[in-house]
Amino acid sequence: MRCYGFTVAGIAIGVAGLTALGGMSERIVRFIEGGDRFVLGQISVAGRGLGMGAGFTAGGLLPASAIRSIAEVPGVAGVQPQVMLPLNPTTSQFMTLTQELVLGLDLSVPTPNRHYPALPVRAGRFLNVDDRRVAVVGAAFASSRGVDVGARLTLEGEAYEIVGVLERTLTAPDRFVIVPIADARAQWVAKDPMLRTLLASGAAAMRADDLNTGAAVGWRAGEDPDAVARRIAERVPRVNVQIPSELSRQLRASTVFFSALLTGIAALGLVIGGLSVANTIAAAVFERLRDFGVKRALGATDAQLGREVLTESLAVTLSGGIGGIVTAIVLGGAIDTWVSRGQQLFLFSARLVAGALIFAGLLGAVAALYATLRVVRLSPAEAIRRGA
Amino acid sequence: MLRARGLVKTYRAPAGPRIRVLDGVDVDVRRGDLVVIAGASGSGKSTLLNVLGLLEDTDAGEVWFDGERVSALGRSARSRARGRFVGFVFQSFLLLPSLTALDNVVLAARYVDRGGADPRRRALGLLEELGVVERREHYPPQLSGGEQQRVAFCRAVLNDPPLLLADEPTGNLDDANARVIVGALRRRAAGGGAVVVVTHRPEAFAPATASFRIENGRLEGHILKEVAP
Repeated sequence: MRCYGFTVAGIAIGVAGLTALGGMSERIVRFIEGGDRFVLGQISVAGRGLGMGAGFTAGGLLPASAIRSIAEVPGVAGVQPQVMLPLNPTTSQFMTLTQELVLGLDLSVPTPNRHYPALPVRAGRFLNVDDRRVAVVGAAFASSRGVDVGARLTLEGEAYEIVGVLERTLTAPDRFVIVPIADARAQWVAKDPMLRTLLASGAAAMRADDLNTGAAVGWRAGEDPDAVARRIAERVPRVNVQIPSELSRQLRASTVFFSALLTGIAALGLVIGGLSVANTIAAAVFERLRDFGVKRALGATDAQLGREVLTESLAVTLSGGIGGIVTAIVLGGAIDTWVSRGQQLFLFSARLVAGALIFAGLLGAVAALYATLRVVRLSPAEAIRRGA
Repeated sequence: MLRARGLVKTYRAPAGPRIRVLDGVDVDVRRGDLVVIAGASGSGKSTLLNVLGLLEDTDAGEVWFDGERVSALGRSARSRARGRFVGFVFQSFLLLPSLTALDNVVLAARYVDRGGADPRRRALGLLEELGVVERREHYPPQLSGGEQQRVAFCRAVLNDPPLLLADEPTGNLDDANARVIVGALRRRAAGGGAVVVVTHRPEAFAPATASFRIENGRLEGHILKEVAP
């Protein structure tokens, strides 16, 4: 392996590029898949009209009477009132995919989302039904602000104690601040002067439990969630009901740009990494044309030479592949740590690492085989002459 | 040991007609022979050696090793025959730069199932015999031309092939090193091997069993001088 340093380095660069681009692509895929999984796990309902709400519950006010009506619709298993607000209304709306949200949950009702019945907690605990002025924060939120369990957070002038940090989900909850619904309602009133004016005027007869931006609705086992959603829309007036499959389609349509981007990134990664690996291996074989001529002069058969070249190529490709993957992971980790302030830009999943190694190995083998077939077609004398 | 009949080899010229480098050459070499083939540069003597050693195809003609018509064999069978019957010494040594002197010699055993003593031990014995055993762990660029040619000679004879083909083996050497290589080739023939040398300095190999001059694609004059080995 004495003379293979540059070949291994060349392959490592190609595989590092392939893995890094793949890591970014995986990250986007996981984000979209996570969002899709969430919306398909529940029926999201909001009040009709425009309002303060954000995220899945964007829309008008959803009063307690509407929530009771939803609960009576056949096929509905549970309704959890929610308040979802932008953490910072001046900037949050611009980047919906990386929005930081305050999510208020009514913990007296079990979370009806079939795919996320409980959000996984990395440190501390989740909220309890009697909690006030406490928060559970997403992993990216905690990381970007350097906070952990026990730290204090000020929301609309009120101090909150962080009692838990969620596991990294690589999708929306990573940027959530989850609080008891009563606290979220108080924040809503504090954030929205129009709502304050309305409440103060007494023009609308509202109680605290009428202040909901939406609700997560579960369905009974065996029910078709789309059918239950349509039933809610038919039977409960003045609500916006998201049909799970339509919402999933909309989510995918809204991320079509990112899907195209990641397809482009993946294709680019495959082309760049593939060309780099194939070119490096083929060049390494052709560079040693004279050596192969000498070996054939010494009696090496086509099969012996083929085996030798293939074994060497695989060893070189896998060494370069592992080097490239390690380089990509180290660089990706450094970029995530120093540049992105808590956001994770790269995801080096097991399938990506295995795929990059297999891809590099296969391409290296094919390139080596092609080059070997070209080499053995030459007479030994010709190979020696051309390689001189 | 080696018999060739009617060897014809032509090359495509960049312009004009094909060049006929070998034009019906016949060669016979017996065990114990030291045959010298001389000729001007470009006369086709290296081509003749390549054809005799199956390193290059001919347009016509046949080659036999020990009565076996090897020129009719397929590519891999020719490689096996080459490994079994022939050792090569090249003017430019052709050692693999990534291998040590010792590994270059041992490389010859990788492709030929000869059995017998351990190839490394045999290689060390040969390097000792040629006076380069101290340089066994050095890589070719770290060796002088004379040392490289001695290592190349060891590689050529490691499998004890019955036929040794040497293409200008002293062409890049000073007189002292040339004498070492000539002596080694002569001992090889004296030991019962068949040795064919192409050179433009035939006098360096005198006395030889037979000396030929290649001209116009033919071995002109055939045996110019015959001396008992």
